[in-house]
Amino acid sequence: MTRLKTRWVIFGGLFLMITLSYLLNVRFESVASPEVQKSYTYIEDLPEGSVIMVSFDHEASSLPEIQPLALVVLRHAFKNNLKIIGVSLFAEGTAIGYRLLSQTASEFDKRYGTDYVFLGFKPQQISAILGMGESIRHVFPEDYLGTPTDEIPVMHGIVNYDQVEMVVSITDGALTVHWIEYVGSQYHQQVMAALTAAMITTYDPYLASGQLFSVVGGLKGAAEYENLLGQPGGGNRGMLAQTSAHLYVIVLIIIGNILYFRDRKRGKE
Amino acid sequence: MQQRLPIAVCFIAGVLMFLQYFSPHPVARAVFVTINDYWQIIFAFTLLVGIAAFVKTNLKQISRGKDTPYRLIGLAGLVLMPVLALIGGIKIDSPFQWAFENMLAPMQATVFSLLAFFVASASFRGFRARNAQAVILLAAALVVLIGRVPITEMISETFPKITFWVQNYPSMAARRGILIGIGLGSMTTALRVILGIERTYLRGE
Repeated sequence: MTRLKTRWVIFGGLFLMITLSYLLNVRFESVASPEVQKSYTYIEDLPEGSVIMVSFDHEASSLPEIQPLALVVLRHAFKNNLKIIGVSLFAEGTAIGYRLLSQTASEFDKRYGTDYVFLGFKPQQISAILGMGESIRHVFPEDYLGTPTDEIPVMHGIVNYDQVEMVVSITDGALTVHWIEYVGSQYHQQVMAALTAAMITTYDPYLASGQLFSVVGGLKGAAEYENLLGQPGGGNRGMLAQTSAHLYVIVLIIIGNILYFRDRKRGKE
Repeated sequence: MQQRLPIAVCFIAGVLMFLQYFSPHPVARAVFVTINDYWQIIFAFTLLVGIAAFVKTNLKQISRGKDTPYRLIGLAGLVLMPVLALIGGIKIDSPFQWAFENMLAPMQATVFSLLAFFVASASFRGFRARNAQAVILLAAALVVLIGRVPITEMISETFPKITFWVQNYPSMAARRGILIGIGLGSMTTALRVILGIERTYLRGE
């Protein structure tokens, strides 16, 4: 088989595996990892009316993985009647963050301005993060829709991170590191990360040292969180596809190595 | 003078920002907020520079007849999104939001998802147990791949435990080493810049 044909067979196999996985309705019973359990318990134990800041620090490209993560955290927060301040430190996360917040809020009959607000995007992440430590309304004088921050009820009494219980950074990159390094160390703010699976190991050292409070990682993390919340969503739906893709890659690695050793043996002979 | 002035500005700004970190005095806080504001304003202007460079490069290539349709689409996107936002606003039911959700996001996700196909192809071709190091890498990859899917949890609880061990001991040790190295390197570079030893930002001198 030529190199090109092999590639097309591999591509076609993966496409089939993932397509079939999404057509089947299979749900896995997964045990929540300690990090997901910790995230869930923290939000669950927050008193009603507590304020959390959710930062949409991601690109549009990772939306299929980011969306279930963001939705499950937002649903949990709204379900427990927490107030949410949404921000975005990544330009592409702005429109997505606004839509996800609006969508989730409508599921729980939450009102914009009273129960949640979306302050929008600020360029230069470090500067924005540090600036909010002094004054959130100084960094965001207006919300995403142009309403002065002072006139938004949910922002009354909110000056800086001191009035915010936790920062949840939803990310597909290393932006949460800025939250950890600047907000965590300088303003002693709890930081939780909801991130793509590829980024989990990047944050492991921060998690182990306690600088990062907790992590909900990848589709698996989202599925575990959804199970804890009792609201299966995109995380659970994607689990079969992720499982089959992982198993497919494992099979490819094994076949590749069998062929490699066979060819090497033939070469020696 | 051309060199001394920027070095002096850099030294004063660096020392000022370093000292204010340790002071809760209102003057120190005011200095911090002001410098922070300037930082954001300067950064906002760099976005304009980026847009100008994007337009200039694409127009230049179009004039040469290189990849014209793609470049026109790129430029059209650059103009379309702000125009949509200016005309229809940015609310949830606006054309801007629709274009973002139904054009930009799916296109980006599609391109990004192609990575899965290349990973699958590379795993078949490149992940070979050629020597001892490759065997270790291969074993670690297999363990993490297996441990990140729920089906293996259903087979045995040992898989996630092994994955946890790989991620939290050997992998973390390497990552910590890298992070500490980056931290020390950043501190050294910052000190060199503040003290005027590192001058590559001044025309590479």
